[in-house]
Amino acid sequence: MQKYKRFLFYVLRKVATYLFTIWAAFTITFFLFRSLPGDPVSAWAGALQQRYAVNMAGGSEMVEAYRKQFGLDKSISEQYFSWMYNAIVHQKLGPSFVNFPRPVEELLAERIPWTVGLLSVSILLAWVIGLLLGALAGWLRNSWISSLLTNYAVVISQVPPYLVAVMLVLWLGYSWRILPTQGAWDAQYTKGFNLPFILSVLKHAILPSVSIILVSVAGWILSTRSLIVNILGEDYLIYAEAKGLPTSQLLLRYGLRNALLPQTTGLALSLGFIMSGQLLIETLFLYPGLGELLARAIGAFDFNTIMGCVMLSIVTVMTASLIIDLLLPLIDPRVRAVVS
Amino acid sequence: MQVPVDLGLQAKPKGPDTLIDVRDMRIYYATTAGEAKVVDGVDLRIYRDEIFGVAGESGCGKSTFVEGLLRLIKLPGYIKSGTAQFFPKNVEGKEPDEPIDLLKISQQDMRKLRWKHIAYVPQGAMNALNPVMRIDDQIVDAIHAHVNMSRKDAIELMLKQLNMVGLPPYVANQYPHELSGGMKQRVTIASSISLSPDVLMADEPTTALDVNIQRIILQELKEIRERLGLTIVYVSHDMAVHAELADRMGIMYAGSVVEVGTTIDIFKRPLHPYTQGLIKSIPKIGGPRERLVGIPGLAPSPLAWPSGCKFHPRCSKAMDICRQVAPRLGVVEEGRQVACHLYETQPKVESENSERTLSEIKLHV
Repeated sequence: MQKYKRFLFYVLRKVATYLFTIWAAFTITFFLFRSLPGDPVSAWAGALQQRYAVNMAGGSEMVEAYRKQFGLDKSISEQYFSWMYNAIVHQKLGPSFVNFPRPVEELLAERIPWTVGLLSVSILLAWVIGLLLGALAGWLRNSWISSLLTNYAVVISQVPPYLVAVMLVLWLGYSWRILPTQGAWDAQYTKGFNLPFILSVLKHAILPSVSIILVSVAGWILSTRSLIVNILGEDYLIYAEAKGLPTSQLLLRYGLRNALLPQTTGLALSLGFIMSGQLLIETLFLYPGLGELLARAIGAFDFNTIMGCVMLSIVTVMTASLIIDLLLPLIDPRVRAVVS
Repeated sequence: MQVPVDLGLQAKPKGPDTLIDVRDMRIYYATTAGEAKVVDGVDLRIYRDEIFGVAGESGCGKSTFVEGLLRLIKLPGYIKSGTAQFFPKNVEGKEPDEPIDLLKISQQDMRKLRWKHIAYVPQGAMNALNPVMRIDDQIVDAIHAHVNMSRKDAIELMLKQLNMVGLPPYVANQYPHELSGGMKQRVTIASSISLSPDVLMADEPTTALDVNIQRIILQELKEIRERLGLTIVYVSHDMAVHAELADRMGIMYAGSVVEVGTTIDIFKRPLHPYTQGLIKSIPKIGGPRERLVGIPGLAPSPLAWPSGCKFHPRCSKAMDICRQVAPRLGVVEEGRQVACHLYETQPKVESENSERTLSEIKLHV
């Protein structure tokens, strides 16, 4: 009984931290963006003025009308509470500016599948590949394989990720013309569950996905390698070797099994970051995901859309880490002991 | 029995039967500052069914010596040269008395010898268990790596072993962090002897434990030895532990063995000045209060051992020859070897650990 009580207390504490962190992160973002000089309407008006040489002098009434529609005429605290009220009670995030007058929640819902589809597959693949290559690099830490992998990972982790994507686009997309470089599907196919459309989607996903994998695999290789190298020096591994276990068992049950704990946490965290999208990659490939939406929203001072995107990614990151906290006792017997 | 060529380094007493015969074992570490000669010419012979204590200061190469015999040396360390003839019982595909050179066989063959013939209790026995596996899985996987038996039989064998070191059966279902240090220690011992190996290499297994548990575990080791007829090589810097446990001892200094003899002889009549220093630095309970005499100076670096006798810069009895010629381990009397210039001309010393007799010998030289 005592044990369950303590576990319940642990869960409650984690959930409370979860809610508080979301609220705090949300509040900070809200005021941060509002404290910037400018707002969506004036940014838009300014752009119009510059681009088309429209004289906005007479348009101030129009500007005022738009400001009112976006609630920008009210004080910041009023805006804050009404946004909160609408978001929590009505699940409404307000109209977007980049896609006026469609509501933000609709825009998000439209883009989530693309981002989730692209990123979850890429992240999972990168994790599995990185873990295996990293384990190999750690296990054979004095061989050329290890130095090859480590050098690759170090170089790639220092290169800006979009550069890799640009290179891929250049070679595979433009020079060799074997893969499409823009969008998520070919316009000639009807959207829906049919083979040509699915194939087209997969084909379009290759370049962005490969650019994400090539880059993020580097981090997994480096971290797994150092974990494995550390574990190789652990007494339990030396003892396991002295027990005369076959190498495969040593590497898997004693090496990788122990490296898996921190790496699983890492995976869950990076899965949580899915909802923040891949801003640069999505923008580069004009992929209709959340990152590309956020990039446009920031460019247009679109408070509502920005808040929607940020909110979504905060909630998912926090949820992922909450799930880890609740699952960790199941994976790691030592955490289990602390909890109960 | 095939007796390896005797180089005259060690007299082989009648009766006991050699289990491991180490000759001129050298283990070096390649470092940026040069080669660290951590084990630099060890000559030792270990007999079947004895408890052999390896003593010496930290950094004298005790652990590396044992790891070398177990072939657990990791790069940048490597085995430079030497032989270690091992005479285990009933190794598959081998004549009964045919020696195996532990320093030369392949890792694959070594893997087969480990645990079944040559078991190990590591220095950090507290951390020797995988934190994410239950105790039973960690013992059973090792049994299965060597013997073809059902999981049920393996578990039964494991429970028998746990019982032998005084652990209740429920320990098998626990994780390492749920056990105390002493319990973990016993689990490693139980695990290491579960296939009745020829020799158990115990590298300071009780270092992290309090003296009470230490004593109990030493007692258990002794009992196990008597029951199973096990050879134990026990490495420790703690002379008191050796006094309690070891039948014979080897004193190591700066990567080589400087003195070998029965524990009683070594404590009663230490011959090598280093051994004398070691024994003088053991505090005595009771008797008049006096300042402990240690050994002056620090252990030298394996990157640059002193010339000649490696102990000469710290030795109060150093002579000219000590600075130039390295003494070799030589027989002083039956079952007693020492590597010191003080004794080469007078192989048999009738002394009672007294400074005076030793300085007289020095005069003779």
